Amino acid sequence: MQLTAENFVVEEGIDQHYEVLKELGDCHASLGNHDRARHCYEEAALLAPDKSGPAVGLGVIGLQTGCTELAEQAFRRAIAIEPGCAEGYGGLAMVYQHRQDYAGAFDLYLACLDKDADNLVALLGLFQTSCQMGSFAKVIQYLNVYLDRHPGDVSVLFCLATLYARDGRYGEATDALETILVLEPENVEAAALLDDVRRRQAATGAEVMSP
Amino acid sequence: MESSTKQHGPLVSVLVPTFNRRRYLKEALAGLLGQTYGHFEAIVVNDGGEPVADVVERFADPRLVLIERRENRGKAASLNQALQHASGKYVAYLDDDDLYYPQHLRRLVDALEGDTDCGLAYTDLYKVHCRILPDGARQVRGKVVNVSRDFDRFFLCYFNHALHVSLMHRRDLLERTGPYNECLRVLIDWDMVRRLAFFTDFEHLHEVTGEFYAPVGDCDRISRLGRIDRQAFVAQTLMIRTTRPPKPWPKMPDLSILALPDRIDESAADMIRHIYAMTFMPFEVYLPAAPSDLARLKIDMPNLVTVPATRGVSVEARVDAALDRLGGDYVAVVPQGVPMTILWIEDALHAAVHDAAGRTAFTLSGHTAARPAFVLDAAQLRRARDGAGDRPLVESLGAAHLEVREPQPRERALGFDRVLQDAESLEAEGNWVQAAALYGQIGPRFGNQQWMRERAASALYRAGGRDDEALEIVRDLNSDRATVSTLLLEARLHKRCDRPREAVGLLERARLILKR
Repeated sequence: MQLTAENFVVEEGIDQHYEVLKELGDCHASLGNHDRARHCYEEAALLAPDKSGPAVGLGVIGLQTGCTELAEQAFRRAIAIEPGCAEGYGGLAMVYQHRQDYAGAFDLYLACLDKDADNLVALLGLFQTSCQMGSFAKVIQYLNVYLDRHPGDVSVLFCLATLYARDGRYGEATDALETILVLEPENVEAAALLDDVRRRQAATGAEVMSP
Repeated sequence: MESSTKQHGPLVSVLVPTFNRRRYLKEALAGLLGQTYGHFEAIVVNDGGEPVADVVERFADPRLVLIERRENRGKAASLNQALQHASGKYVAYLDDDDLYYPQHLRRLVDALEGDTDCGLAYTDLYKVHCRILPDGARQVRGKVVNVSRDFDRFFLCYFNHALHVSLMHRRDLLERTGPYNECLRVLIDWDMVRRLAFFTDFEHLHEVTGEFYAPVGDCDRISRLGRIDRQAFVAQTLMIRTTRPPKPWPKMPDLSILALPDRIDESAADMIRHIYAMTFMPFEVYLPAAPSDLARLKIDMPNLVTVPATRGVSVEARVDAALDRLGGDYVAVVPQGVPMTILWIEDALHAAVHDAAGRTAFTLSGHTAARPAFVLDAAQLRRARDGAGDRPLVESLGAAHLEVREPQPRERALGFDRVLQDAESLEAEGNWVQAAALYGQIGPRFGNQQWMRERAASALYRAGGRDDEALEIVRDLNSDRATVSTLLLEARLHKRCDRPREAVGLLERARLILKR
């Protein structure tokens, strides 16, 4: 048996005040109380100037209120504070996407996923921007990486099926959609897309077979 | 109103040593004077620091007594000087940078005046992580209850889990313990708390009734001395562990260790030094050996009793010689070569202390019939040797119908900590649900219920997908005793379940505590 102070003394809590304010900011932001949220984030930033969370929160408020310039400033500050801040890159990508700079957004979503492959918001953002840009290969790779870790995530499976369908990879699209319908037999969108894929697959097959 | 409050209940003497912390002293005294229990005297001892008379006098409260001392003689001397002026039935402690919440004294007095045999009660405190700002103000970064343990005498001899500022005890107990040890530079409070445990049980009140401050980056004096002068630190802890207040000890088992080295040479001295390094329950070491050998022994340790073995140097002859002298309730027979790791002797001692019949010799690691190593009730060993002194040691135990066996896991010392470690290992492996289940089982069996329930809720939160179970536990905890940590945990659970409004209410409560 090892007997050390670590076994019986709780030594966490050095950033507890910061955590309370950051959580409070997040909750107020999700309730639309932006002023209160902003106040909490600013107070949190004073307590922990080395943490990017409050800047990310302020960026999210900027996005929610349509102040993309403020949002951009905040997300850039988050990245400056913590260069590995995935949320900072994800937020910045959303700003770019909002400005219809899809190429810029695409790269930033990729940067976000490089730092956090589990970031669902970035993954879905990447999916949306790739749909706008018509380049699917990189997204499909990331979606598959994500699904390896979260095999039951229906929303991501659906995105993947959509991309396969758009890319003419009907067999893989069908597999993904059938998996969704096993997990959620009542999923109407998946069923509709599966019908569509099967029709297109049949049509393609007919074209191929026709002289 | 105040005078009527003063008339009720026993007088409590609150000892307040201070040294160069005028600013915080003012806050500490304000907290003291805001107590809901008013019948106390506060003895402030300025240990040669900057003057504080104006700080004390500004309160204009006759319950505050100031002793100014020009010379800086340390905290132990301050406490002893304060005790000379104390006249209360009970004694409580307040360091100059700590804070009582208004109900602190009331809760402790109620506990000690209630239906209890305990002469000491203690509460929980927040450890306040703070940053000291340039103007001296404390910026609070977190408040955690970092020690909240039910009383365990064996554990207390290893680690102080009854914080000095959190406790109150009968003043007459100090007649038994003796004064604070002014030779100590560190762990002054643990030394006294440990000595108090010789004479009384402690009652743990699961309420947070105050705060003590820990500036971030400014490690405490204990670890600082440990780093700067390791040798001095070890010497001071040895001084504490070898302190034996005058007997009788109604609550503390006294262990006599019979050291039986193969020969008296440097290896025997090493063996004895190792016993001192690894044993944390109170003990004396008896070294029976041929008188000529003892004359050659070069070791000077406290509580070491050399016993001339005039009837030979066999194991039995040496044990019998020592039995005539030893004064402990329990005896440990320790031949050379017994492995001495942590709890090497406390497990067997714990089993012996809790063996109602007292008819079992609990073996130590390395025990064999040829080299017996065990802990046993001293009276039983005497009886066995009186009855069959001509037989080998283990045979004589058998003849006296004494069982010789290993302590079972449930009989060993620090049972709570063993299971706690198992649960923590599960957490480290990411087995959150299993860890939570184990935490749930620990509380009812070993106590520390609130602490274990908080751990269980936290593990379930981390497990994911068990939010309802976690929420049920933590909600219950918060209705009973909300801390910043439990409020934050409940808020996070609500947030994850997409109930930000509920989370806001809890977080605001946590924020209020942090700002208090």
